[in-house]
Amino acid sequence: MDDIDSRSTQTGDDKRREKVFDDVIKLLSENMEISPTEITSDLDLNTDLPFDSLQLYEMVIDLEEAYDIRISDEDLDSVKSIDDIVDLIVRLT
Amino acid sequence: MENQEQIMSDSLVRIFENVVLTEEKSLQAGYFSDLSIAEMHTLTAIGPYQSRTMTKTAEDLGITTGTLTVAIDRLVKKGYVIRQRDTKDKRVVRISLTRNGKLACRMNSKFHRVLAKRILEGYNEEDREHLIKLVEEIDAYVEEQLHKYDNTSNIRETATEVARTSKKENSSNG
Repeated sequence: MDDIDSRSTQTGDDKRREKVFDDVIKLLSENMEISPTEITSDLDLNTDLPFDSLQLYEMVIDLEEAYDIRISDEDLDSVKSIDDIVDLIVRLT
Repeated sequence: MENQEQIMSDSLVRIFENVVLTEEKSLQAGYFSDLSIAEMHTLTAIGPYQSRTMTKTAEDLGITTGTLTVAIDRLVKKGYVIRQRDTKDKRVVRISLTRNGKLACRMNSKFHRVLAKRILEGYNEEDREHLIKLVEEIDAYVEEQLHKYDNTSNIRETATEVARTSKKENSSNG
């Protein structure tokens, strides 16, 4: 019984993470005019994407509004890749 | 002792002036060159999240609502602030930041954080903690001095106190 419960929670979490990931990709591709297919989860925000701090904050503000959350600068310090952003949003929502 | 006081006094004034000057230059060179330092501080006082009343914002900035109204007019025109009537109490005007206003506010807060980060980087953990403790003490002391001027009667009291202290110092030195 426990196993089934934990499996179903896992699936729910996975789906939630997937949805956040899709939202992040959509925002990124719109803001930076890149094709969504070119963005993968392991991309480094500083080295792999032509991303400056203004664009980072544009995305942060859009994500804050979309998810009704607050992303502090301290939180952003640990964000290096797309995966990190997705994890952060999942944690804050 | 006298030399220490001079160094401390000069450094405090210089730090204040140079932080403001650097902030101003970074603004002029960056994406928000149409904003003055005073306008940026107004945006910071409003903050990137909930809307605020004019009265509370003016109070936080230490200016009159009349002065704030003029500043907000300009910021609305420049597209950084939205002014709206409160939905519950139509007499109350609320102000909030546009997307561009939020961006400017967060970029400015990043400027201050990076400055602090660079300063702290030069010290080991123990020195960092010590430095922060000392700076917090200075901050609290200066804040306390500011509150003495919160109303005019206090200005008079402070002036009297300063006069009394200087007189005492002069007589002990002489």
